[in-house]
Amino acid sequence: MKCHLPKLYLLLSLILCGIILIFEKNISPYYYQVIVYIGINIILASSLNIINGFAGQFSLGHAGFMAAGAYTSAVITSSMHISPGSLASYPAFLFSLICAGIIASLFGLMVGIPSLRLKGDYLAITTLGFGEIIRVIIQNLDFLGAARGFTGIAKLSDFFWVFGIISILIFLVYNLINSTYGKGFLAVRDDEIAASAVGIDVTRYKVIAFVFGAFFAGIAGGLYAHFVTYINPSQFGFLRSFEIVVMVVVGGMGNIIGVIISAAILTILPEALRSIAQYRMVIYALLLVIIMLLREGEFLGGRFNIKRLWKKSPAET
Amino acid sequence: MPLLSLNNCTIQFGGLVAVSELILDVNANDLIGLIGPNGAGKTTVFNMITGVYQPTSGEIFFDKRNLVGKKPHQISHIGIARTFQNIRLFPSLTVYETVQVALKKNISYGFFHAITQFDAMHRQENRIKETIFEILDFFGLTRFKDEMATSLPYGFQRRVEIVRALATKPRLLLLDEPAAGMNPSEKKELMALISQVREHYKCAILLIEHDMKVVMGICERIAVLDYGIKIAEGSPHEVQCNPHVIEAYLGEQV
Repeated sequence: MKCHLPKLYLLLSLILCGIILIFEKNISPYYYQVIVYIGINIILASSLNIINGFAGQFSLGHAGFMAAGAYTSAVITSSMHISPGSLASYPAFLFSLICAGIIASLFGLMVGIPSLRLKGDYLAITTLGFGEIIRVIIQNLDFLGAARGFTGIAKLSDFFWVFGIISILIFLVYNLINSTYGKGFLAVRDDEIAASAVGIDVTRYKVIAFVFGAFFAGIAGGLYAHFVTYINPSQFGFLRSFEIVVMVVVGGMGNIIGVIISAAILTILPEALRSIAQYRMVIYALLLVIIMLLREGEFLGGRFNIKRLWKKSPAET
Repeated sequence: MPLLSLNNCTIQFGGLVAVSELILDVNANDLIGLIGPNGAGKTTVFNMITGVYQPTSGEIFFDKRNLVGKKPHQISHIGIARTFQNIRLFPSLTVYETVQVALKKNISYGFFHAITQFDAMHRQENRIKETIFEILDFFGLTRFKDEMATSLPYGFQRRVEIVRALATKPRLLLLDEPAAGMNPSEKKELMALISQVREHYKCAILLIEHDMKVVMGICERIAVLDYGIKIAEGSPHEVQCNPHVIEAYLGEQV
């Protein structure tokens, strides 16, 4: 019974995506944009959560993977001259997203390998540098538009794509982390020496986390590129990486549901504060501090088990 | 043919020779104690066997295979499991999950099956679940299965660590000071547990311990290390009477 629950969830959420599709025409463009951003940030934060939260490898280069994916998919759809709404656009977009994921995961592999030798803050700085390298390389490649940016990308992303991919991602992550195989990630995060002593290949797990996380960051990049239709390297700077890290930390490292909620809240927050103009970022930062002070352990009080919302943890009793 | 044999193993950290020319044989079904004063190099021997450190010179053979150059996880797969001096449990895993992680080598499916939940995976997961409950039952830990492993009382944490090591189905179990910090009744339980483990799992045990009551009580053979050099080996009685051992522990006679 328990085993079929995730499959049921996947089916339901995909149906839900279809229903949303009917109503999306009635939503004002501003709200539409905010909701798509929420979706993209959920994908980014959830994929970073695999690297930072489950495998415990503190990475600050997520925007780099996103950039790799965004440019890859943009190049592919532009060279195919896809027009939005045509029947051919769906398989073409899917293809470009998969390529975006693959290219990004190759970069993930490249970051994952140094991560085998580095820990904690050293790794964080290395990944930060790596993310910047990707950005600077793009800035100097003329066929990608260099600093001018890449224009004329078809507007292919919509609710269906964004929330369909969220559904699949959450399904995959949930399965992974509840399998015996996936528990190895948590063991690696907690204690590498003890994990290797029970036969877990720590190296392999770390690299898999980077590759898997980067794959979905690349897809998120592709969705982003095909929503804003114009991308330039400065959109993928390290501030972007930090934003994603903050979402993961606030949501609780390794907490699937917490990270989704925090990604949504932290996307809405700056938008909701638009009315107070110049104080917006001050209040945003202040709220972040307050959230970090008030939350107890993790955002939802549990790793990924929603039951712990109402069940006291053993430490409290 | 011994199960594990260390041939002239030396390990040097810079100028310090932590273990020097160690020769030690462990046969299948042996229960051997490794004792010595603090800093004698006992844990270093464990770290050498399990691949955490590589010996500077010498060979380690386990079941005719050379362990030198192998990584800790490979050595675990070959059939050596260990516990740690200062307990190393996974803070974010429950007792159930701790055992589950140790059973990882029993699964043959890979990453893509794990994320997509193919049917082959379900069969294996169900088998693993049964195995976990069997193991927890055998060691009387079933009632703690959903507790975080690190929140258990000290004696039980030690027990969980031993159970985690045994879940990998080792042929040689290395116990690093299992009785450290235990009260007398916990020590008694531990000794019962060790003999229970030997009977049921049929594995050889190499044990580091400072508590002489435990060591003398259960070990058939004892090796004594002092400053990285093996100064004595023999039955508990022989070791107790050995003048070198008395000297290492109490100092020279005046």
